[in-house]
Amino acid sequence: MSRFLGYFDWKRTDGLWFAVLLAAAFALPHFIENDYYINVLVLVFLYAGMASAWNIIGGMAGQFSLGHTAFVGIGAYTSTLLFNYVGVSPWLGMIAGGLLSMLMAALIAYPVFRMRGVFFAMATLAFGETVRILLMASRKYVDMPYGLSINYDPGFIRMVFEDRSSYAMLTGAFLIIVTIFAFGLSRSYIGSYLRAIRDSEEAAVASGIPMRKYKMIAFLISAFFTSIGGTLLAQYILYIEPSSVFSTAISIDLPLMALLGGIGTIAGPVIGAVIALPLRDILLETFGQSAPGLHLVIYGIALIVIVIVLPHGLLGGVKSIRERFVSRSHARSEREEPK
Amino acid sequence: MDTLIQLIISGALLGGVYALAALGLNLIFGVAKVINFAHGEFLMLGMYAGYWLMTLTGINPYYGAPFIAVAFFLLGAVFYLGIMRFTIYRPELTQVFVTLGLSIALQNLALMFWQADYRTIQTMPQGMSSLQLGGMHLPTDRVIAFGFAMVILIAVIIFLRKTFTGRAIEAVSQDLMAAQLMGINPQKIFVLTFGLGIAITGVAGGVLIPSFYAFPSVGTFFVLVAFVVVVLGGLGSVTGTIVGGLGLGIIETLGGYVAPDLKEALPFVLLILLLAIRPHGLLGIKGAEKETLK
Repeated sequence: MSRFLGYFDWKRTDGLWFAVLLAAAFALPHFIENDYYINVLVLVFLYAGMASAWNIIGGMAGQFSLGHTAFVGIGAYTSTLLFNYVGVSPWLGMIAGGLLSMLMAALIAYPVFRMRGVFFAMATLAFGETVRILLMASRKYVDMPYGLSINYDPGFIRMVFEDRSSYAMLTGAFLIIVTIFAFGLSRSYIGSYLRAIRDSEEAAVASGIPMRKYKMIAFLISAFFTSIGGTLLAQYILYIEPSSVFSTAISIDLPLMALLGGIGTIAGPVIGAVIALPLRDILLETFGQSAPGLHLVIYGIALIVIVIVLPHGLLGGVKSIRERFVSRSHARSEREEPK
Repeated sequence: MDTLIQLIISGALLGGVYALAALGLNLIFGVAKVINFAHGEFLMLGMYAGYWLMTLTGINPYYGAPFIAVAFFLLGAVFYLGIMRFTIYRPELTQVFVTLGLSIALQNLALMFWQADYRTIQTMPQGMSSLQLGGMHLPTDRVIAFGFAMVILIAVIIFLRKTFTGRAIEAVSQDLMAAQLMGINPQKIFVLTFGLGIAITGVAGGVLIPSFYAFPSVGTFFVLVAFVVVVLGGLGSVTGTIVGGLGLGIIETLGGYVAPDLKEALPFVLLILLLAIRPHGLLGIKGAEKETLK
């Protein structure tokens, strides 16, 4: 622990960002009256949290997973099954789901960590699909309906709330906890190790970084928090089915948000979620009436353009503009007073 | 014993089609080192092309294959010049997301125009839908599709090995820098490869439609199948694609007979295991899985 904190790299603005996040999570929900906006807020918090969790393995460590829906689904199913059949509170079921996801992550890590780049992506994509198909096939042997609904019976212990602002605070708290974890990892030596692995596995190993161990740590933390997000999603929607929580669309959405904001950064996934979810909603509202699917056609095209124009996300774009500006003013000052 | 032979033969028939469906993906990967996540959507468009050709003009997709090929060659060239050109020397991540974005757009474009209906066509007149061969029943459509697949695969191999242009493509796939020093213009080769790869994929879709249903999200299934075929056979190897396709078809058919519930999961489990054990595939070049355009 002392090693963990000893290398810690604090910046002056960290406290400010933390206060903004805290205000967004706990104060903002009280000021929004409109049900629709609060719904967007809940989903933004939830997806921002899960995208941040994905970002730990996908962004910081550069292991581009396209199978995170497996963890979302495991989280949603574990807590819901435990609650519906055994009566265990989702607060405990959430932890159980997280641990089960970590176990699955550890198992799948053995084969997939041998690959890199697109091949890692392909293998994890197949992993997400496999879990869904296995769940569907197992329904034959255990008596489980296709979809599972959670009784609407508000109560803190059952993690079901009457008003949406409570959900906003719950998911906001989730986002804050994930962000603190991601922040802690990123600014400690572990973050440096992960970035070294991302930039060059050979160089990282040659520098004496135990690559497998740190990739595994990142993957397990990522799986755990993604799974918690799955439980929260189930508790919010109160209905789950294999095709909704085990869906390649979720696996794509999480990295997409990280990429939009700025992959590998702490704020990136949050910014990405703040942009992507409302954007899709606005497109749906504007074009949804005219033809089914049109809003997603535009969304897909927008995605292509954004990725080509801003390969390092919005944060990367802002940074490159600032660097250009700074280097220009540097050049000017050097001309005026040569050292 | 008879059942086993029947299973292996129908597996091989299916596998031939799988090989054709995966060839375009492998060709593009081999030359431009891009994994096209929108590959399944191009196959889906090919299936619709076959469907509409038959429904609107009455031209059987087997005879219409040249038309589909030409149209999809142009589509592939546009795909490269309009989109992929900007990503070709970029990090893999950019390519993954650009092709994923295209896959979302194309899938919903199909949904917009043709709704989510399951569509298929009948190309064979009544009573001709299956062939009898020494006590075995083989679906005629599959046999024709298999024939198509083999002819195209062999033609591509001959094109790559014997013609000047084909060897230029091979050269770029082996070593971009050296190829450029020999006076090959890689941009031309990339346009040609994307055109050729997408044309083959379109024709594959066209001959698939009589035996599979076309619907907007059918590509997500086929793109994973194509990944498995490519990884099984070998990255960047056309001969490997044939081996991988036949292998997957036979494994899937046999597996489906033993455990019908898990048939769907079989290709994916196979993919994970293969990538872990032998990432360069049966006939691929060792280290191909680590290759990128630099």
